[in-house]
Amino acid sequence: MADSPNLSRRDLLRGKFRAGEPTAPQQTPAPDPQPSARIGRRFALPIHRPPGAVPEAAFLSGCTRCNKCIEVCPVGAIVHAPERFREAAGTPMIDPYSAACVMCTDTPCIAACEPSVLQAQRPKKMGVAWVQHMACLAYTGSFCTVCSERCPVEGAIEVKLGKPRIREDICTGCGVCASVCPAPSNAIIVMPLADRP
Amino acid sequence: MLTVDRREFIRASAMAAATLAASRTSRAVSLPILEEQPEGSPLKWQKAPCRFCGTGCHVMVGTENGKVVAIQGDQKAEVNKGLLCVKGYHVGLALYGKDRLTRPLLRKNGVLTPISWDEAIKTIAARIAANPKGFSFYGSGQWTIPEGYAANKFVKAGLGTNLVDANPRLCMASAVTGFLSTFGVDEPPGVYDDLDKCDVAIMWGNNMAEMHPVLFSRLVDRRTRGEKITIIDMTTRRTRTSDLADHVLFFKPHGDLAIANGIAHLLIKNGNFDRDFVAKHCNFRQLGTSEDPKAAPDMLGVPMTLDEFAKAVEPYTPEKVQELSGVPAEKIRMLGDLFGRRELRVNSLWCMGFNQHTRGTAINCIVHGIHLLSGHFGKPGDAATSLTGQPSACGTAREAGTLCHMLPGGLAIANPEHRKHAEEVWNLADGRISPKIGYHAVELFKRFNTPTDQGGDITTVWVQVTNPGQTIPNLQRNFLKKKGLADKFLIVSDVYPTATTELADLILPSAMWVEKNGMFGNSERRTQQWFKMIDPPGEARDDAWQTIAVSHALLEMGEAGMKDKSGKWLFHTADANGKEVPIWDWNHYYDVNVDERLFNEYRAFSRFKHKDLAPYQEYVKSRGLRWPVIQQADGTWRETRWRFAESDDPYVAKGAGFQFYHSVTKDDKALIWFRPHEHPPEMPDDQFPFWLCTGRVLEHWHTGTMTRRIPQLHRAMPKAYVEMNRADATSLGIRNGDLVTVKSRRGEIDLPVWIGGRGDPQPGSVFVPFFDETKLINLVTLDEYDPYSKQPDYKKCAVAIIRKA
Repeated sequence: MADSPNLSRRDLLRGKFRAGEPTAPQQTPAPDPQPSARIGRRFALPIHRPPGAVPEAAFLSGCTRCNKCIEVCPVGAIVHAPERFREAAGTPMIDPYSAACVMCTDTPCIAACEPSVLQAQRPKKMGVAWVQHMACLAYTGSFCTVCSERCPVEGAIEVKLGKPRIREDICTGCGVCASVCPAPSNAIIVMPLADRP
Repeated sequence: MLTVDRREFIRASAMAAATLAASRTSRAVSLPILEEQPEGSPLKWQKAPCRFCGTGCHVMVGTENGKVVAIQGDQKAEVNKGLLCVKGYHVGLALYGKDRLTRPLLRKNGVLTPISWDEAIKTIAARIAANPKGFSFYGSGQWTIPEGYAANKFVKAGLGTNLVDANPRLCMASAVTGFLSTFGVDEPPGVYDDLDKCDVAIMWGNNMAEMHPVLFSRLVDRRTRGEKITIIDMTTRRTRTSDLADHVLFFKPHGDLAIANGIAHLLIKNGNFDRDFVAKHCNFRQLGTSEDPKAAPDMLGVPMTLDEFAKAVEPYTPEKVQELSGVPAEKIRMLGDLFGRRELRVNSLWCMGFNQHTRGTAINCIVHGIHLLSGHFGKPGDAATSLTGQPSACGTAREAGTLCHMLPGGLAIANPEHRKHAEEVWNLADGRISPKIGYHAVELFKRFNTPTDQGGDITTVWVQVTNPGQTIPNLQRNFLKKKGLADKFLIVSDVYPTATTELADLILPSAMWVEKNGMFGNSERRTQQWFKMIDPPGEARDDAWQTIAVSHALLEMGEAGMKDKSGKWLFHTADANGKEVPIWDWNHYYDVNVDERLFNEYRAFSRFKHKDLAPYQEYVKSRGLRWPVIQQADGTWRETRWRFAESDDPYVAKGAGFQFYHSVTKDDKALIWFRPHEHPPEMPDDQFPFWLCTGRVLEHWHTGTMTRRIPQLHRAMPKAYVEMNRADATSLGIRNGDLVTVKSRRGEIDLPVWIGGRGDPQPGSVFVPFFDETKLINLVTLDEYDPYSKQPDYKKCAVAIIRKA
């Protein structure tokens, strides 16, 4: 690792392994040109925003912390970001491990957002889920199909020969799969988008 | 400095995981075999069989400070080799639901009021003493072997009635009658090793991927090792098993009889049945002249010749079978050819699809018949095996005989010689054991729910370790009517409030699983043992202790039946010095190992029908042994895998090849039965156009009283639903998630529709799981049962689906 000075953690998370190489097979957009996503010398922590959120810098400056989205969420999935999110503390976020977004078709959170930092015309992509094969029952000799059955996004989790695969281009990162995974140690990791388009 | 490129590292790790995943046990992580007491750790590991299904996986239970804190698959166990299913990994949490019952509760003026154990035991004893002939025990295949044995002895020796039955009546009874009428003795001749050896595995209406996942894994895992195995899934509904099958044969409900007869027809017609095996080892049988199911059931039948048998199966041509079952004729021919090929090893597997069947005995017999006819019997991989749903349906109900027509060790009440043997073992006066068969589960609850002056002669029922309030078919008629009957008294020993405790007059809090000593017997004749590891919560106590305490209370009240003919109490227990231990007193119950005491007594029964069990200490040392367990010349104990085969079964005479030493016809031959196809008692019509099938799901075990209290399992499968075929739903204007009413002639419930979900029923049929106590599907099911086994059919009845506005 020490020998890759040009490789940032953020690049790594986006699937870029070596400086100069094109980023990741899936279409990750070009890095956010706005430097305000950096706070001081450190990167802002990726945070799991409700669906339809504008880019993080605009979100942070635009969100009035009015709590409307938190109040209207029918499943209580939207919560206040805790202190560890530093400058984002108190803004709305989703913790898919305690309550996942269920991808409502009428998106009451977006409708309730007065400063329009949640926008209906934006893609409802919050992050992406990964199946950790080491922990997944279906990959370790047992049988389980719960994540694919309960996934609210058509086609985001395919099951082939009994094993679930997440289609990263379709997955919205809602986290339902993580909230229902019955494996002894949760096999699903939900990563918030580092950069929203 | 040596540096590892991160990409290289990720690649290397992925490779390691892939290699391990493809290895023998399919474990992504290779875990060391646990020592039972790792040094320097407060965590103590001990073995126990899993509390849930009949597979009989072993788990390692980690306890610390009086609590179960960890569970791991047991690498030393032959059954599961370290693997568990999703339920097994969470089995420890079944102990820790928030609403464990911790005090005896008596209903006084309609309100459940805490009482002392002393009062509870005296209340039961007084109830029984007042009317012993109106008392029935109702237990389950989750009774440990000693618990079931104690209840059985209490009723059959102590009260002199045979009023004890158990829920395997709803689960395994038809498999029992199938084995009995074919081999003259119960339980599968084959074992799980057949899964490792077979070339063809046939699932007869059996969703093994969800119901016996560890066994199915053992089977499909062979493919990852490059072995060729053909899986044939015969089903009425596409399931997770179908996804991994080579051939999926959809048949109409009840079409299984036609398919099996069709195979027999082809074997005879093509002449590729095993003439030699049949001539040496089989007789043919058919029912007497009357096939009327209302006529008195007779499992002996009348003899027939091979030619007569050939004539009887003659009408079951592939085309005719296609008409009756809906399976294409060429697929029937494919099955016939598979059975006809002697070099293949064919393993038939079934569970509730066959057993919960108004013709359950018949279909069990026919499938044994085609295995015998084709010679696919008794060689590793060649077997017809019924799988059980409960951890000790075999060990307790079938072997310890907790059914209304049985005695321990596979003995029958109807047989005077068997009764005499039991009287000898129990040291009872001649004729003490009643020749009158008790009431089977459905009849028992029918009578309990009928006013006493109208023939409802059962007035007190004691339910242990089961939940009939959710599982008895046609609940409105057979369970809920009790509400208005003041003289009926329901006693329930359980660990959580259930649909049954709702109506209980007296609730007793029980210890469960590793809170007590125990023994189970799994589907492959494997007897398993574990020790108590932690204390039960509050005042909860062992089920066996409850039975023993009531027996002692009756003894003190002067009930002569509680003594044997020498005047000794039935459960008299002495310590090593011969001094009596007061095991009726809870404070002294664990002064001795009561399980060992009861098991040693029960062992004497096991030899009568060659179901020999080893001494208790042998089970302590092992991860279960498959009976008959025979002592070798060097003093060691050897289990038996393939019964009736000279290659493995020491009871088979040298040179015989095969010997059915409990033959019904007493000539060491098995019976090949002819049983015709017939239509079920209720079929869909204009008013109720759909078939209803009920069953389990992977995450929940039976009525969900334990698994619904495990958060991970509850979240994964929170509520019941009705699975519908997309075409049916479209024609009724029903969309996924819509609420519908499922209605039969007996009752109705509302359920959300799931289309294209885990299972996909064939057009014209629907499926509802029964785990959800808030959605009791047994309000809807039919209480018709098989005339021989008395097992009800939960898989077929006619319903209407009505969309809610």
